[in-house]
Amino acid sequence: MSFSHFNRRLHLYLALSLMPWFLMYGLSSIPFSHPKWMDAWFNDGAPMWTTRFDRSYDLAVPANADLKPIGARIVKDSGLEGAFGTYRNNEREVNVYMYSFWKSTRLTYFPRDKRLLAEDMRFRWDRFLTGMHARGGFEQPGTLHKAWAVTVDLVCVGFLVWIASGLIMWWQLRSARGWGWLALGGGTLLFAAFLWGL
Amino acid sequence: MYLALFLSPWVLIYAISTMAMNHRAFFQKLYDGQIVMFEKERELTYAGTFPESAPPAAIAVQILSSLGMDGAHGARRIADGRIVIHRAHPVAPRRITLAPATGHLLIEKEVFRAPAFLERMHRRRGFQHDYALEDTWGVSVDTFIVAMIFWVLSGLWMWWEMRATWRLGILFAAGGIALFAFYLTTL
Repeated sequence: MSFSHFNRRLHLYLALSLMPWFLMYGLSSIPFSHPKWMDAWFNDGAPMWTTRFDRSYDLAVPANADLKPIGARIVKDSGLEGAFGTYRNNEREVNVYMYSFWKSTRLTYFPRDKRLLAEDMRFRWDRFLTGMHARGGFEQPGTLHKAWAVTVDLVCVGFLVWIASGLIMWWQLRSARGWGWLALGGGTLLFAAFLWGL
Repeated sequence: MYLALFLSPWVLIYAISTMAMNHRAFFQKLYDGQIVMFEKERELTYAGTFPESAPPAAIAVQILSSLGMDGAHGARRIADGRIVIHRAHPVAPRRITLAPATGHLLIEKEVFRAPAFLERMHRRRGFQHDYALEDTWGVSVDTFIVAMIFWVLSGLWMWWEMRATWRLGILFAAGGIALFAFYLTTL
């Protein structure tokens, strides 16, 4: 097998293997790029969040506390399991956002009122896609979460190999070099203009 | 092919930025938890006036125009009454803080750090501000989205035209789909 043959096959089989991710990242970019369209499309008047429970709860939250263990405690005390992130936008509340590809739940703890509110998000295809798109990172415990993060890295490497193998394939087509230079140069110039002017 | 060559800078930036975002915790550690940091660029006293009820958005437009920095931005009034304007830019975003009582204007420039730059480029969408260049970027992002979907479809068709690659192709495609389906049902 010549290098050229290997390169073409690598380009092809890599793309076929990673096709679900390419498609997912492509489709899920639409709601990111046009959130207003999606809201108009899916807005049928149904509430985005429905209350699962709203009960009294008491947990000390120091001002500069590490939020991760606090979030973990709130999740555990709620009887829930799964990936989560903890945020604090203001002193009045601590927000824990729990997510899977199909379901999202938010837990809001109000330290002053000693109250914990749990709400489930309704399923929407645009949210499902953006949730998949945004999923990544090695912070969540558990082999599966880390495996997904490793897969995201592999998809990125796949994109880079795709560029490199594509450039080699183009270069081997002598008759396409002229137009290819024009396309590559035009794209690079336009991108540089955005970098400078945006 | 020509579409891919034209869009290769976008493919490159989205691939590298995704890796950077996937390893955000590592980079945060690398920069002592401060990937985004501003340094003072200049200070001045702003002589212009605003109507008392002027919203932060209107104040921001006036200030940015007078500084020759008009462009995509966000503005808010913070608790002590100061107006904070964030002027977006891929390479060098600025933070401009105005104390309306004294007219004191502080202009800070974000220190360039690769992970922050990559994440900015990844998240920039267009169509959010009243600037033609913003919308042009949005069109380029939309073109990239259409191209990605087109590449999947055209790639499938090109593969199907090459009989010799059917068996291995089905194996690789099925492997990818199976792994993706596994994640869908378990994560």
